Amino acid sequence: MSNNTNVRIYEYDAVIVGAGLAGLAAAKELTEAGKRTAVITKLHPLRSHSGAAQGGINAALGAEDSTELHEFDTVKGSDYLADQDAVELMCTKAPETIRWAEHMGAAFSRDAEGNIAIRPFGGQSKPRACYAKDRTGLAVLQAIYEQAFRAGIEVFDEWYVADLLYKNDKVYGVSAYNIRNSEPAIFNAKVVMFATGGHARAFRFNSNAHANTGDSLSIVARHGLPLEDMEFVQFHPSGLGGSGVLISEAARGEGGRLFNALGERFMTKYAPNAMELASRDVVSRAIMQEVREGRGVGKDKQSVNIDLTHLDPQIILTRLPELRELAIAFQGQDMLKEPIHISATAHYSMGGIPTTINCEVRKNPIQTVEGFYAAGECSCVSVHGANRLGANSVLEALLFGRHAGENMVKKLNEGIKLKKATKEDANQMLEEIRRIKTSNGNERVSALRAELQAGMTEKAGVFRTKISLEEQLSHINALLQRFKNIRIDDKSNTFNTDLQEAIELGHMLEFSKFIVYGALIREESRGAHFREDFPKRNDEKFLKHTYAYMDNEFNITHEWGDVVITKFEPKERSY
Amino acid sequence: MKFNNETRKVTIKAFRFNAETDYLPYIKQYELEVGKDDLVLDLMNRIKWEHDGSFSYRRSCRHGICGACGIKVNGKPVLACKQNAIELLDMFDNDITLEPQSKKRVIKDMIIDKKDFWEKHAKVKPYVVANVESHPTKETKQSIEAFDALLNSDLCIQCGNCHYACPSLEANPDFLGPAALNAAYRFSIDTRDNASEERLKLTSKPNIGVWDCVKCFECAQACPKDINPIEKITKLHNMQFEYGIAERNIATKHAEGFVRSMKKHGFLDEADIVVYSEGYLGMYKHLKTAYKMMKAGKIHFTDGLPFVDNVPKSKNLSEIQKLIKISQTNKL
Ligand SMILES: Cc1cc2nc3c(=O)[nH]c(=O)nc-3n(C[C@H](O)[C@H](O)[C@H](O)COP(=O)(O)OP(=O)(O)OC[C@H]3O[C@@H](n4cnc5c(N)ncnc54)[C@H](O)[C@@H]3O)c2cc1C
Ligand code: SF4
Ligand code: SF4
Ligand code: FES
Repeated sequence: MSNNTNVRIYEYDAVIVGAGLAGLAAAKELTEAGKRTAVITKLHPLRSHSGAAQGGINAALGAEDSTELHEFDTVKGSDYLADQDAVELMCTKAPETIRWAEHMGAAFSRDAEGNIAIRPFGGQSKPRACYAKDRTGLAVLQAIYEQAFRAGIEVFDEWYVADLLYKNDKVYGVSAYNIRNSEPAIFNAKVVMFATGGHARAFRFNSNAHANTGDSLSIVARHGLPLEDMEFVQFHPSGLGGSGVLISEAARGEGGRLFNALGERFMTKYAPNAMELASRDVVSRAIMQEVREGRGVGKDKQSVNIDLTHLDPQIILTRLPELRELAIAFQGQDMLKEPIHISATAHYSMGGIPTTINCEVRKNPIQTVEGFYAAGECSCVSVHGANRLGANSVLEALLFGRHAGENMVKKLNEGIKLKKATKEDANQMLEEIRRIKTSNGNERVSALRAELQAGMTEKAGVFRTKISLEEQLSHINALLQRFKNIRIDDKSNTFNTDLQEAIELGHMLEFSKFIVYGALIREESRGAHFREDFPKRNDEKFLKHTYAYMDNEFNITHEWGDVVITKFEPKERSY
Repeated sequence: MKFNNETRKVTIKAFRFNAETDYLPYIKQYELEVGKDDLVLDLMNRIKWEHDGSFSYRRSCRHGICGACGIKVNGKPVLACKQNAIELLDMFDNDITLEPQSKKRVIKDMIIDKKDFWEKHAKVKPYVVANVESHPTKETKQSIEAFDALLNSDLCIQCGNCHYACPSLEANPDFLGPAALNAAYRFSIDTRDNASEERLKLTSKPNIGVWDCVKCFECAQACPKDINPIEKITKLHNMQFEYGIAERNIATKHAEGFVRSMKKHGFLDEADIVVYSEGYLGMYKHLKTAYKMMKAGKIHFTDGLPFVDNVPKSKNLSEIQKLIKISQTNKL
């Protein structure tokens, strides 16, 4: 495959990488506007991780709720790092976006009046999470896929995007290969969008799909483009003890209570008002603090209990059936009868590819790249700042995905030209594949990955210090070297998932370095980022977005970008 | 739960085949330590990560929600990321073989070509047919009852387990199969949809639609999300009658035959239904299915003979009642 003569070149108006909520929403807009659009995804669209979202999707639909309250909760939840213009756009458009999903056919649960049902979620002053039992993501993903399918979107599924075509400040396509038979191709387009989802697979305990390896982040970074706020990784309070598999916040939203080994309802100490429904970062730290002080339960005392047994069983059976099944399948615990062991699990990536409010990718804090867009979890338009509120991210993916689609249509209508690709543009991808396939060392991909993940959870996890981060940084450097010395077993061209896992590990090592680097230079604690050696927020120095850049030797440098503050002046944050 | 704490050392067999390099499939064995919380996906990962990196399967979410990881173990359809391994080892006496959902469609190891699955799915207009307002200021109202009437059909994760377990589909490639029919129900029952009639017409067609389901309940057993496609198929039957779409054809006679059989035996006499609706000659057309079902123990070879009343009555009656109950209750 290192020879580029058999590279096929496809031409499109628009190419979208990723077919979760963000990618599909954009694809639907573009296709309906008559633009020739290709959606490329390494999974069948319906297998995208958006489908795993459980608890809800936010919109101020309730009688006592308002857009302004939603904005305030989001900004406060973000520990004031969110860009408030983007937050305003999101919260204002949230109601129409949820209703749009409903009109498309999303099977939302209903209240007695036949409206979309809402439930309380952490960090929110009013019940605001619209839900479809505990499978909200599935309901919305199915609906957007169904209507996009109906609109006739063109999907290249089980294709792996390996590189971006970027020259002279302009993006003009991607290179990719068909996973089924390794056939390489170039997708040449006037506008390109990345919607590749999250990257919490870099941690040992995580709630993410195997596919969430953050490929697009390092693909972008390899071209010298920045990543923003990568140090902010959300640890969800309720991952199942052993596996990190998620028990949605809905379990707390519906009334679940947290207890330590002594049977104390410990949230009274950490968030006396909001209790279990404090913001995620607060609850996760509380849980890990209890564990650290020896009051954990379960295997190695690494978990605490969430108890739902006081609830009417009907609530569990009708609103949390999937969660109950997960706990039974993964650890043999039935929440109807007993408390469930949970622990903080790496869950969501606030940082990512920096974009403007119109989803255009930034080249630095002030300039953008022509023809390049991003939305959803892989991006950082910064509506979540330092910590995302539950049920805000499926909203973000759907809403900004669509918004990106609309802006791409606009750009195409303005007459943006196609920069022609050549077969040589595939060389970087072909070389990467050749290198991995022919590398004949003695390191195993799975072992390197396990080391990376263990280190990230232990040293760049819920609690961080200068020492732990420096250790992890040099560990990653060593892993990057050892990665050059791998050997994979599978040399075939058919569904070579061995090759794919190796490419993905390369990405994970590189973007993880951004996470650790960002955490190291941010000498403060804000939202999900907690430095034990700097436990206070420091607005004077760090009310700023991190923009980090990588060179060919994986060295990282950074600069700071401004935070957009409009309505809400930073205040101390308590729950 | 009943599991003991220790791990168990076992030999796991796996079906191996690479369409690119292998002429024939083969079985390979792997020594694994299995713990009480291990899922089948954990075993597959360990085979790939510790033994042989070329072992290939689809997986993504590991939350039992993306539908990627459907395989078979000793012929039993499972969702690998949700199925406890010890449970299976107990069930099969520590002798298990990981297999793809459909061996004739295999591309590599556990990975099959699901083209037929998606094509069938596409046939039933798998979307709500309505004008989607682009900037709605109100949601469509839907009562809790109307939402409940979906009967969890919307929870289908397109894993294909039912599809590749259905004997009718195996015998008749034109049959839409349980997953597509479940989807047909999901959209037709939705109060926002305007294409129910079209779907009911399609699914009432002989050879393609609901009437080719032989009510064997394989799909109900195969479904990891307890969706019970056969229940939806039965609902579609009823809706076809309600909409006056079901014509008097072999198929509706089949329905009458079903009732006749139930009355006569308290039992579904598969062969009797065919005889009743298509005559004895008609039976020959179904010999292939019949043979498969015989192998599966669903019918007996004397079933079609007019004077041999071999249909057991009292012994299986309770089981039938259980099945009817399964098909009627809305499981969680
Ligand atoms: C268990 C769980 C529960 C959650 N629950 C909630 C919730 O209740 N509420 C909420 O608001 N949020 C929730 N979230 C977060 C939310 O689901 C995600 O942030 C959101 O769905 C991301 O959508 P997306 O479109 O950006 O990406 P995804 O849906 O992850 O899609 C990514 C797409 O990119 C493709 N892709 C990736 N890399 C490549 C490549 N190299 N080549 C080709 N294709 C590629 C994939 O195939 C996929 O189609 C949850 C997350 C998890 C993990
Ligand atoms: S009950 Fe019908 S649809 Fe289900 S497996 Fe049997 S024949 Fe197929
Ligand atoms: S009905 Fe069940 S078994 Fe069939 S495809 Fe859907 S989830 Fe899978
Ligand atoms: S990996 Fe998604 S259902 Fe099993």
